[in-house]
Amino acid sequence: MDLVRHLRYFIVVAEELHFGNAAIRLGMAQPPLSQRIKRLEEELGVRLFDRSARQVRLTEPGRLLLGESREIVNRVDRLHELARQGRAAVLKVGVPPDLAATVLAALVAAFREHSPDVRLAPAETWTADQVTALAEGAIDVGLVRHPVTAPGLTFGQVLVQAHGVLLAGDDPLASVGEVHLADLAGRELLMPPKEGEPGWHAEVLAECRRQGFVPAQVHQGAGLGLVLAGAAVAFGPRMELPGLAWRPLLGSPITSRVSTAWRAMTPAAAGFSAVAVRTLKESAGMTEEGATPVRRVSRRPGMLA
Amino acid sequence: MSGPAFDSLFRAAGVTGWLYATDVDTGLDVGHGADEPQPTASMFKVPLLVAMCRRADAGLLDLGERVTVTAADRVSGPTGLSSMLDDVTISLRDLAYLMIALSDNTSADKLLSRVGLDPVNAVLEGFGLADTRVVQGSREMLASMDVDTGHAWPFVDPDDIARLSVLDPARTNRSTAREMARLFGMIWRDEAASAPSCAWMRGVLNMQVWPHRLASGFPYDDVAVSGKTGTMPTLRCESGVVEYPDGGRYAVSVFTRSFGTALNQPRADAVIGTAARMAVDHLRR
Repeated sequence: MDLVRHLRYFIVVAEELHFGNAAIRLGMAQPPLSQRIKRLEEELGVRLFDRSARQVRLTEPGRLLLGESREIVNRVDRLHELARQGRAAVLKVGVPPDLAATVLAALVAAFREHSPDVRLAPAETWTADQVTALAEGAIDVGLVRHPVTAPGLTFGQVLVQAHGVLLAGDDPLASVGEVHLADLAGRELLMPPKEGEPGWHAEVLAECRRQGFVPAQVHQGAGLGLVLAGAAVAFGPRMELPGLAWRPLLGSPITSRVSTAWRAMTPAAAGFSAVAVRTLKESAGMTEEGATPVRRVSRRPGMLA
Repeated sequence: MSGPAFDSLFRAAGVTGWLYATDVDTGLDVGHGADEPQPTASMFKVPLLVAMCRRADAGLLDLGERVTVTAADRVSGPTGLSSMLDDVTISLRDLAYLMIALSDNTSADKLLSRVGLDPVNAVLEGFGLADTRVVQGSREMLASMDVDTGHAWPFVDPDDIARLSVLDPARTNRSTAREMARLFGMIWRDEAASAPSCAWMRGVLNMQVWPHRLASGFPYDDVAVSGKTGTMPTLRCESGVVEYPDGGRYAVSVFTRSFGTALNQPRADAVIGTAARMAVDHLRR
């Protein structure tokens, strides 16, 4: 006899104290349920229920065995759950360390819903390290920042996000609605590590220089302490943090472009890629890459005078 | 949201200021004494430019026609034909360029003699710009200063300045910040004249050489500033259009009167740009 299954019947009848109701809950007819309870009583050699009165009652031995039965059923359920998890695939993904916590949380939640059987193992690493990890097979999918050159990698849909500037809350520039890159002249800049994000570094600093902002010093790191201290400014998506002010950049000159990246496409990787595109659009406000608008340089008569 | 603190900004620069800024496409606006009549000084050249274009559009004037500017035409002034010594033969179109880009008084008066005051005012009337009028040319404006003070340039004595009719909107070319900005908005929306004429006017206004006023508030390669200045003792003004990289277009007009009578007041020039930037920033929030 399947003892565990019989214990489940016993628990339900004990909870309902009514064979008819218990049978409905179990989705079966009453006679077979009564039969199985009888078989369990024979197996255990005790009467579990007192059926003599109008109402079904638990006998003293029945009361004693109920707690133990629940324990056994729960342990068996747990055993199956662990076995299922052991069978489950793990998808190792790389994500940028400066990805907002809320965005990462949304990504994990959305992927869990999309593929409940695949466990997501995110590792925070910068683009260059993700490229290496992808090549070595240490991660299955990356979420990288462009421009990135890596032979053998395939990229998912590129999403873009205009960055604004993060300033100390008491910075004079925080009082204006929009800040132009040229307004930042003379300030120091905080960027992600150059070794981790070489493409982003080169692109951002070139654009800054083109627009009249040559940082006196470029600090490297992901923490915003220097910005909070008023010692540097940083670029990033809109965020609200105490003590900091975020302002859009006039003309949207700094635009981050991210996509998933993989070396070998698996169903799980494809699933993550699709979930990432959807989540980054919904939770991080990223948009599909459109045609890059041509930057128009205004004519000022003094320029060649 | 409360408006920007224009008053303290102007005061810190040693001036009283009046301002109006409007989104050319949405009409969203912000003002500060926007409807007070002001003397327009050299900004009268903008309605003249528009009237000239409309007469050309109507076939009454050929802008390619060449005229000769002689000593008799010459009006004093620091730029353009006013500063030259010999006769010049030039097209009406190019005279207009000198009038706008360099604020050349001689070019302005030569054109005014061909267009006439009445047609200019008829155009303004037709546009519903009731507070904007052109009643005199550069020569008359300059001559009135000598008459009002009893002496020639310079005019830096406060008593002299108090007597100048070119600073009294009732007795000289006049407008308001709102109406000057509206006129610029019409040029940018192709409403002031034919579309080709408006496009040409925008080009000429964009070639204005002065960087110290409106343009100084937008020191960015990707922001275009077009406009026309006006200057008289203690009066500094400029009206124009600021174009942002995302396509936003804002017509702005700023008038200032400085407390001091010194001719050189870089802060008073720069506050025109600073106030305009503040106004545009406000409209974009």
